[in-house]
Amino acid sequence: MGHSWKNRPGPAAEMADVAAAQGLWERTRPGYRQLVPWMVAVTLVLVWAGVAASGIFPKIYVPSPLRVVRDGATLATSGFAGVTLLTDVLASVGRISAGFIAAILVGVPIGFWMATSDIVFAAIDPMLQFLRPIPPLAYIPIMIIWFGIGELSKVILIFFCTIPIIIISAMSGVRGTQETRLRVARCFGATRWQVFRHVILPSALPEIFTGMRVAIGVAWTCLVAAEMIASQSGLGAMIHTAGNEIRTGVVFVGIIFIGLIGYTMELVIRLIEKRVIPWKGKA
Amino acid sequence: MVSLQQVRKTYPAPVRGQDPLLAVDTIDLTLADGQFCSLVGPSGCGKTTILNLVGGFEQPSAGRIAASGRSVIGPGPDRAVVFQEAALLPWMTVEANLAFALTLRGGRPAANTERIAQMMEVMGLTGFERHYPYHLSGGMQQRVAIGRALLTNPEVLLMDEPFGALDAQTRSDLQRFLLELWSRLNPTVLFVTHDVEEAILLADRVVVMSPRPGRIVDDIAVNLPRPRTWDAVLNREFGELRRQVLDALRPSDSRARRLS
Ligand SMILES: Nc1ncnc2c1ncn2[C@@H]1O[C@H](COP(=O)(O)OP(=O)(O)O)[C@@H](O)[C@H]1O
Ligand SMILES: [Mg+2]
Repeated sequence: MGHSWKNRPGPAAEMADVAAAQGLWERTRPGYRQLVPWMVAVTLVLVWAGVAASGIFPKIYVPSPLRVVRDGATLATSGFAGVTLLTDVLASVGRISAGFIAAILVGVPIGFWMATSDIVFAAIDPMLQFLRPIPPLAYIPIMIIWFGIGELSKVILIFFCTIPIIIISAMSGVRGTQETRLRVARCFGATRWQVFRHVILPSALPEIFTGMRVAIGVAWTCLVAAEMIASQSGLGAMIHTAGNEIRTGVVFVGIIFIGLIGYTMELVIRLIEKRVIPWKGKA
Repeated sequence: MVSLQQVRKTYPAPVRGQDPLLAVDTIDLTLADGQFCSLVGPSGCGKTTILNLVGGFEQPSAGRIAASGRSVIGPGPDRAVVFQEAALLPWMTVEANLAFALTLRGGRPAANTERIAQMMEVMGLTGFERHYPYHLSGGMQQRVAIGRALLTNPEVLLMDEPFGALDAQTRSDLQRFLLELWSRLNPTVLFVTHDVEEAILLADRVVVMSPRPGRIVDDIAVNLPRPRTWDAVLNREFGELRRQVLDALRPSDSRARRLS
């Protein structure tokens, strides 16, 4: 904005101005930027390999990268404690997805509702603020007593750990709707539903996505904790069992996979975000 | 027609225990159909408040407001508003933004496509239909906002410092452009600005307000010939009008000048 020019500008000239500014920005970004994360990763693995090979620590404390890869291969083919890696991964991802999607489906409407009604806000907010600081680990015994050690208790745990984040982001997204945009809709005679559909909902989406990204991290924390305490399958269970048997290589494989899957989920959300809210941060 | 009778607006005290804040006081103002009226006054005198009242976004604490022959009880499609920021919806294309009011009134039947295309052209936006607002410069965004407001042929157009954030060149482009549209569609315009020259150049009439609580201190008819071009500013008559408006804006200054 705030463009100025000497000659009579057509809209095309203005457009070219903006495009040129963006092009400049693109061009100043160095091409090797994409390589940086890989270089960091390679460096870290080399340092790790060096430390493992130096023999400063017993092999059982710090397995070499090669050892971890070999353990990973074994896990993938014949499995560990009778369960293959794929089964563990699917078990964990399934639980996360179920709990997380449920939290979105329930949390987003609650957040919207709280943002539009003072009474609903007064009813739910204290509960939310009370529950939020309680660490998920504290729920686990109750979840097991109430729902057993099956899938349900884990999914419900994920649900409870992530829903406050989703609710709060949806609520603050709605609250952050620009007053003038609401007024524009209202002065054109928009119904309540139309105001919601065309102005409030799109305004709230960026914050909801941010909330989802935070929530997915929290979901992994809860899940692994739950699986460590009571589960036969899942990456958390795998790590736990391997730890008890001092199979450090397997523990490493578990940790690496949790990180990779978490990262992938983040990338997926980013991709959806780009599709759904390409205007984010630009208006 | 727009009319305000004995309109007052008080806001609750910003700090508990203080007196409520009287923003505008006993405003009497009637705009004839198709009249272009500028409203000038020092910052914080209640110009936006008056616009919000006529727009129906806020209720007067006392007095009556009517527009298009009806009492104003809320926002309505007979009164379109343009704000200082374009307030476009970033998730819609330029064309969808322009057609927003029509979309709200039930889809976009083929009958409207031509009207929308025509408005795009009038606005100098042809070729930008599929672009998004953040691709446009500030001036173009504001043009979309004006087009959006005018596409439904509102009887009343309310504008709150619509060019205040633009650079001088863009501003004068848009002024000319607004006058063109106004002469074509002839809505009643209430145009808030703090730029005295702009107020005179555009309007049939300049209403001047006092500092808070805002009252109308002068109501100056502008009889410069139309169509107006920006060199009207160089006119002797224009200078006379400007002095009159400035006098009304700063009565203490002019008194001091007369005394010295
Ligand atoms: N919603 C509000 N609540 C309380 N005070 C307000 C509100 N809106 C405006 N005011 C006050 O009313 C006065 C007039 O404001 P405004 O109409 O915005 O002035 P202007 O547009 O002429 O600069 C100001 O003192 C402002 O602080
Ligand atoms: Mg104002």
